[in-house]
Amino acid sequence: MKALLFLIRRTLQNLIKGIFKKPSLLIGYIFITLFVIFMLVASFALPSGAIRRGSPGVFTGILSLAFVFMYYSTLKIGIEKGSTYFRMADVNMAFTAPIMPNKILLYAFIKQVGSTFLFLFIGICQIPNLKNNFELQPYGVWMVLLAMVMYALSYPLISMILYSWAARYSRRKKILKRLLDCLALAVVIFFVISLAKTRNFGEALEAVFDNPVSRYFPVTGWTASIATSAMLGFTTEFVVGLTGMVLLIIGTSVALYRLNLDYYEDVLEGAEYIEAAVKAKREGNNVNFNLKIKNKVNQKLSGTGAAAVFFRRLLELRKTAFFLFLDRASVSVIIAAIIFKLVIPDDTGILTLSYILFFSVYVLFLFQVQGGTGKELEKHYIFLIPDSSPKKLFYATLAEHIKNFFDGTVLFVISGILFKSSLLTIIICILAYTFFGAVYTYGDVLTRRIFGRIHSKGTQIFIKAIVNILMILPGLIVGGILVAATEKEILLVGVVALWNFVLAVTLFVFSAGIFKNIEAAN
Amino acid sequence: MLKVRNLTKKYEKVLAANKVTFEVDSGEIGVLLGPNGAGKSTTIKSIAGLLRFDGEITIDGKPNKSIEAKRIFGYVPETASLYESLTVWEHLEFIARAYGLKDWEETAEALLARFDMEDKKNKIGKELSKGMQQKVSICCALIINPRMVMFDEPMIGLDPKAIKELKDIFIELKQAGCAVLISTHIIDSIEGIWDKALIMNKGEIVYVNTRDSMLASGESLEQIFFALTEKQEDKTA
Repeated sequence: MKALLFLIRRTLQNLIKGIFKKPSLLIGYIFITLFVIFMLVASFALPSGAIRRGSPGVFTGILSLAFVFMYYSTLKIGIEKGSTYFRMADVNMAFTAPIMPNKILLYAFIKQVGSTFLFLFIGICQIPNLKNNFELQPYGVWMVLLAMVMYALSYPLISMILYSWAARYSRRKKILKRLLDCLALAVVIFFVISLAKTRNFGEALEAVFDNPVSRYFPVTGWTASIATSAMLGFTTEFVVGLTGMVLLIIGTSVALYRLNLDYYEDVLEGAEYIEAAVKAKREGNNVNFNLKIKNKVNQKLSGTGAAAVFFRRLLELRKTAFFLFLDRASVSVIIAAIIFKLVIPDDTGILTLSYILFFSVYVLFLFQVQGGTGKELEKHYIFLIPDSSPKKLFYATLAEHIKNFFDGTVLFVISGILFKSSLLTIIICILAYTFFGAVYTYGDVLTRRIFGRIHSKGTQIFIKAIVNILMILPGLIVGGILVAATEKEILLVGVVALWNFVLAVTLFVFSAGIFKNIEAAN
Repeated sequence: MLKVRNLTKKYEKVLAANKVTFEVDSGEIGVLLGPNGAGKSTTIKSIAGLLRFDGEITIDGKPNKSIEAKRIFGYVPETASLYESLTVWEHLEFIARAYGLKDWEETAEALLARFDMEDKKNKIGKELSKGMQQKVSICCALIINPRMVMFDEPMIGLDPKAIKELKDIFIELKQAGCAVLISTHIIDSIEGIWDKALIMNKGEIVYVNTRDSMLASGESLEQIFFALTEKQEDKTA
C-alpha cells in the first residue's frame, strides 16, 4: 500500500508543481479558484427563493430528473465497458506488481474520492441557481452536496458489480442494458403523458417524480431524496435514502473487496475506454468520441473532384445519425434549447423563439468549435484533390450547412408548435440558425488562415470565441434596438439572420484561398 | 520457468486462445510469433495476470497471479502507458517500492544511461515522446531484476540505438539465467537472438521448435511462419 500511497502523493505534488511552472495555467487556476470561492460564498450567503419560490414538487422533479439521467448514462457505459477508476498505467504497472488486488482497489477508491471534489465544484456552480428559484432549508446546500457525493461514490461501484456479473455473458449484458432502457423509457412515456395532460413542464416533472414509487426507488430515488431534503427537511424519504445509499456503498465495496479479487479483466476494457476518451478530448474530438457508426446507410458516394468531399461528408454524417442527419449533437442542441426556454420564460411575451435561437446557436458553437470543417484540414486528402481552392472549401462545408438546416428545421418546427410562433418567425429562425453555423464554419477557416494552426486547444477555442462574438455582435445590437423599439420579434431574428448571411458570404470570400496558404496539420 | 498449460480464453463466441501449451526455460529466449489476431496479445495478457482464463500458467512453479510469481516477473506492454504526472525517476521509485526493492538507485541510473535518458530523469510522463515512454516502460520491467520477463512488441517506436541496446539486454538477461518471452509479428526484429520459436495462428500454437533443430533442418523461421500461417488461411478459404 505504501507504493500506491507514494503514487497518489507524488501525482498530487507534481500536479501542483506543474501549475506553478506555467504562469498561464496558474492564472487559469487562480481564476477558477476565485470563481469557486465566489460560488461557494454565494451558495451559502444568497437568500433562498430570491427570484421566485418554486414548489417542492418541481424541486423534487428537477433533482430526480438530473440523477436519473446521470445514473442512466453512467451505468449504461459501465455495463458496456466496465466503469473504472483505473488508467492504463495502473493496469500495466500496478496490476502486474506484487500488490494485493484489494489494496489496489482501495487505492482506486481514494483516487475516486479525490476526483469527487472536482465533480462537487461543478455542482456548486448550480446551487445559487437552485437557491434563487427555491426556498431551501438553512442546511440545504450541504444536502445537495451530500447527494452528489453519494452519486459520485456509488456509480462506479454499481457499474463494476454489474459489469463483473455481465462481462462474461453477452446475454446478461443485453438483459441489463434492456432493463435500464425500459426504466428510462417508462420515465419518458410517463413524462410525455403527464405533459400532454398538464401542458406544463414543471407539473409534468412533478407528476413523474414526486410520488412514493419514485422517491423510494432504489439508487435514483434514494439519491434524489437526500438532495430534496434541502427543501423538504429530514423526512422519512431522506432517512431511507441516506441509509440505502450508505449500505449500498459499503455493501458493494465489501463485495468487490472480499468476493471478487480477480477483477483485473473487468476493468481492463474500461481503462482502455478511458484512455481513448482522454485522447479524444486532448485532440478536441470528444463530441464524436464513441459515436455508434452504422455500417450501411442509404447514401452513396458520388461526385467528382471537390464534390466527392461533399458526398463523403454526407455519408459520414448519415452513418453517425439516428435518422437522416439527426445525431447526438442535434438532440443535445434541441433538448438543451427547449429546456432553456422552459426554465427562463419571457415575462414580456414578445420573444417566442429568440431565446431558443440564441441558446441553440451558443450550444452549436460549442459543438462546431471542436470538429466540423477543421477536422477536414487535419487530413491530407483535401490538399491533394485536383480542384480549385474555393470549390474545395465550398464542398467541404456544404454538408455542415445541410445538417444545420436540418437540425434548425427540427428544432424550430417543434418549438414553434410548442410556443405558438408564427410560421414566418419559424422559417427565419431556421435560416438564422443555418447562417450562424455558416459563420462559425467560415470564421473557423478564416481564423486558421490568419493565425495558422494554433497548437493549444484552449487558445484555439478562446480565439474562435472572441472572433465569433465580435463578428455577430453588430447584428445582435441592431436587432436588439429594433425589437425594443417595435416589440416585433420577427425584426430581431430577421436582422440577425440577414447579418449572419452577409457575414457568412463575406467570410467565405476571404477564406476561399485557404488551401493555397495553410499547411497540412499532420 | 514459465509454464503455460492448456490456456483457453473465450471472448463471448470468439475463441482467442485454444489449449495453448508451451514452456520457456531459464536462460532461454522464446519468441511468440503470429499474424494479427492470432491470439498473441490474449496469451501475453493472460500470462501477465490481466485476464481470466481456463488452464494453468505458472512462473517458477507458482501460479502467475500469485504475489510470489509477480515478484520475479517483469512485463513490457505493447503500448507504454505512464503515469502522466510522475517523472521518469518517480516511475522507477514507484516500481522499486511496489516490488520492495532495496538499493535500486544505482541500477536505475545504469538503465537510464543505457537508454540515453539520464537527462530525462525529471521529465513527467506526458512530456515524453512515445519512444521515450517505451524506454521508461522497459526500464521499469528491468529494474526489478526479473527471473522471467515478457516483452510485447518491444521494438515499436524505439530509435536504432535503443533497439541495439535492447537486443544486447535480451542476450544479457539470457546469460544471467532469465527466461525471456518476446511477442512480435516482425520476424526480422528478433533474428539471431531467439532460442525457441512459438508460432500462433487462430488462437492455437501451430509450431514449437528450437533454433538449433530448425537450423539443422535447413529452414528459416520466415519460411516456416509463412508456410504455416498461409496454409491455414488457404484451408479456411
